[in-house]
Amino acid sequence: MKRFLIIAIAVIVSFALFGSAFAATADEIMKKSQAAFLYQGKDFKARVMMKLVSKGGQERIREMTMLRKNFGEIGGNQKYFMYFFQPADVKDMTFMVYKYPAKDDDRWLFIPAINMVRRIAAQDKRSSFVGSDFTYEDVSGRDIEDDMHSLMKEEKFGGKDSYVIKSTPKAADVDYSYKLSWIDKANNLPLKEEYYDKRGELYKVFSADEIKDVKGFPTITKRSMKNLQSGHTTEVSYSKTDYNIGIDDSLFSERFLKQPPKKWIE
Amino acid sequence: MKKFSLVEFSVNHPKLVVVLSILVTLLFMMQFPKMKTDTNPKNMLPATSEVRVWNDEVEKTFSLYEDMIALGIGNEKGILNKDTLGKIQRITDEILKLKGVAARDVSSFTTIDNVTAENATLKVAPLMQKVPEDEKGIEYLRKMLYENPLFINRIISKDGKTTAIYVPLEKGANGKEIADRIREIIKKEKGDEKYYIAGDPVARDTFGSEMFKLMAIFAPIAGMVMLFVRYLMFRDLFLSITLMMDAMISIVWSMGLLIGLGFPIHIMSSMAPVFLMAIATDSMHIFNEFYFRYRETKDKKKAIIETMHAVSRPVRNTALATAAGFAVLLFMNIIPVKVFGGLIAFGTVALRILSFSFIPAMFTFVKDEKIEKIAHAEDIGTDRTSQFLKKLAGFGTYKPALTVAIGFILFVLAVIGISKTKVNNNLVEWFKKDSDVRISDTVINKALGGTSVGYVVALAQDDDYIKTPEAMRYIEGLQRHLEKLPVVGKTTSVVDYVKRINRVLHDNDPKYDAVPETKEMIGQYIFLFSMSAKPSDLDNVVDYPFRRANIWVQLKTWDAKAMQNVINAVDEYKKANQTPMNMKPAGIAYFNLVWNHEVLWDMVRGFILALIVVFAILAYDFRSVKWAIVGYTPLLFTILFIYGVVGFTGKDFDMPISVLSCLSLGMAVDFAIHFVSRLRQRLKEAKRESLTDALLWTAARPGKGIVRNAVLFAASFAVMIFAPLTPYITVGAFIVSMMLLSAIMTIIYMPALIVLMKGWLFKGEKT
Repeated sequence: MKRFLIIAIAVIVSFALFGSAFAATADEIMKKSQAAFLYQGKDFKARVMMKLVSKGGQERIREMTMLRKNFGEIGGNQKYFMYFFQPADVKDMTFMVYKYPAKDDDRWLFIPAINMVRRIAAQDKRSSFVGSDFTYEDVSGRDIEDDMHSLMKEEKFGGKDSYVIKSTPKAADVDYSYKLSWIDKANNLPLKEEYYDKRGELYKVFSADEIKDVKGFPTITKRSMKNLQSGHTTEVSYSKTDYNIGIDDSLFSERFLKQPPKKWIE
Repeated sequence: MKKFSLVEFSVNHPKLVVVLSILVTLLFMMQFPKMKTDTNPKNMLPATSEVRVWNDEVEKTFSLYEDMIALGIGNEKGILNKDTLGKIQRITDEILKLKGVAARDVSSFTTIDNVTAENATLKVAPLMQKVPEDEKGIEYLRKMLYENPLFINRIISKDGKTTAIYVPLEKGANGKEIADRIREIIKKEKGDEKYYIAGDPVARDTFGSEMFKLMAIFAPIAGMVMLFVRYLMFRDLFLSITLMMDAMISIVWSMGLLIGLGFPIHIMSSMAPVFLMAIATDSMHIFNEFYFRYRETKDKKKAIIETMHAVSRPVRNTALATAAGFAVLLFMNIIPVKVFGGLIAFGTVALRILSFSFIPAMFTFVKDEKIEKIAHAEDIGTDRTSQFLKKLAGFGTYKPALTVAIGFILFVLAVIGISKTKVNNNLVEWFKKDSDVRISDTVINKALGGTSVGYVVALAQDDDYIKTPEAMRYIEGLQRHLEKLPVVGKTTSVVDYVKRINRVLHDNDPKYDAVPETKEMIGQYIFLFSMSAKPSDLDNVVDYPFRRANIWVQLKTWDAKAMQNVINAVDEYKKANQTPMNMKPAGIAYFNLVWNHEVLWDMVRGFILALIVVFAILAYDFRSVKWAIVGYTPLLFTILFIYGVVGFTGKDFDMPISVLSCLSLGMAVDFAIHFVSRLRQRLKEAKRESLTDALLWTAARPGKGIVRNAVLFAASFAVMIFAPLTPYITVGAFIVSMMLLSAIMTIIYMPALIVLMKGWLFKGEKT
């Protein structure tokens, strides 16, 4: 009996070790992917054109300059600064986000019509980013530790060798029950993501539609997120993309929210 | 005559005819497994109809759902306690998992966005993310709820005792099935809370499924009652079953044809079996006459052929009149009405073919002695029914002036009643007062804004116009104007969101609970709202280029009238206040108004057309316009009386009642045709008989057939009075009274008219 028990324990332990080794690989892949996707360079700038397309084909445009600067490690703090060009009546509106891992973001919005800066509570990182199908997390990244990751398989996707990772949220209050990501083995960028709802039905699909090399960094310059249930799609394209341009820390302040320096936003 | 040879052929080859009939029936029956049903009243109008195209466009523009279920949760002690809130959370979570539910847009405490300001921080988050642990948390929630006008009367009643979870459905989902799933979810919860499930899809789909159940229960019961009454009349099971088969065969043929042609069975066509069963009772006249003839000839075959000879003309013409009456519906606009008309017309023709083939063939199988026994009782001299009928007809014959005068007074009363008719439709009132659907609807409508939703869409000429302060103020004013209507429980528009943001941005100062002064402010507030709220919140009330705004109007009743009131109020407001915007109604409440209206008036148009066609057939049949007028009178009176009574009792003139008018026409005309045809035949056959005697004879002999027909009909339809759905009760009560009335009108009133107008009627003919 004793011997049987020992063998059993040995088997379980070895499986557990094997399993965790597996998980570690998946976690590693996701970490690398996050670095390639959202933490590339010291800082980053792009002119972002967002097209929100309804099921009926109606379109809404959001055009902005997005500035990002990393503070600390990959997966660590980041600051975002956004200046809106479109829609026309929100021209001069600015939006700033301090992103912290494992903690609620800080967000500020400048409303030019009443010349007022307001803090915006950010309890829900899964809420829509400026009315699009992307969530705040889709834009600035989700903490790797918030999900359990496992490597499902490796396969060719769009002619590229890729890992398929299944990520299951640890918390229950997330809008999806799991996510499948196809990660390009060559540059670690996500090529496609599928979100499954609580009923296990596919409901949102992310796809990287154009990848360009910018200053040696492979960058997704066209992407889309489609909500299969509402039929709503958001298409995003980047132009004037640049890295390591030397954004000052001082840009990310309430003062510059009201009066953003032209050289950064143009 | 062709028909003649068919009868003779059938009598000579009865077995062949019966086998052939059954084979054809089996052929039609093979179509049955292909049966499809369609209970959605939306399909009453074609997909290309103006209202459907417009509603589809509105749904698309504003990402709206066609169907929404409201789950009301009530607690006498108030719902704001840990226990009830926990239930709301659990139930919402379970509902979100249901298939067919548009989970992303379910509105409940845990999913609805709340815009607040605290410590100079703007917060957009679900109203209740976690159930509050303590009193303090509950107080905070209470404050949040009552501070935000968007919530009051929507997810919280003013007295705090009722909340609702709004469950939008994906396209094509079955409302009843989802309602049943929700019922399973709430069954698991214990406690004092009461639950109410309401909404158009529940009412509609419950009605649909009940309807088929009813047809499966009541049509056979009606059939059995008919069988039983027939047996009482003829004391011969075989013949009673023959008559029953006659009806069944025609039902199988018609339904088989309908299914075979690929039409789905609709609310209206599901009533066809009962209608055909009713029309089949006309073959009663063949039996009636057969027994009389048999008594006279004592030769079965001869009696059959003679019977057919005597009744062929009226039977053929009643069939023609009925078929024509329904066939005019083929020229209507509404597809199910057309299908229904064609279906019944076909069934009626099938019935008549059977009357001249299948029925005579079956007669030959009956043993002579048996017929003799029954026929013995059929003597107009001794038979109690015949004697009674003679007396009835005698009243009209001997006191024609008095009869006509009484008739005239009743006529005037009926016209007064009809002038009081209220045209209205209410899907929920198709359920009985004590039904779940109706109770739920009443409770939720009393406590909250209303379960019936209509929209008023503001259409501007230019992009971004909706963002102007003028447009905002105009819409706000219109909302306040509409809310003055007692049927309107709540209105919601983009203005409410803008006002909310304005207030919240200014530290919750009530002074800012108003439309902002500039277009920039409005544009930026809307953008701010769209940055964090659910996309659908904004999509539901304004289109992408900001040219169109959607005002939600929650109605406290499903009365079609209610939406009409809203439309009138909008027009009123527009007259008093200028705007470059156009206002157009939409939504399910509007659709209900339109389709009910269309079906109803289509039926009324069809009815008037049928009246003309039937008159033409009468005139052709009698070869005399005068006799046609006389034959028409009982028919017209019966219909006028019934609608007069409907008007006096204040019952709504709705879709089911308008459908019945066609049936009443088709049936009531039968009696007149039989009476007039046989009377004139009698006058020709028995030349020395006086008009009075001939009238009395007609009342006693074919009159007996008429009364038998009426009683049979009434008895079987009386069953429907016990149905749980009011349209069936209406149909039952209507047919019972119509049959009895038109039989009596024919027996009493017609002789009176004939006597009074004999000079005019028989001018040129020898009396």
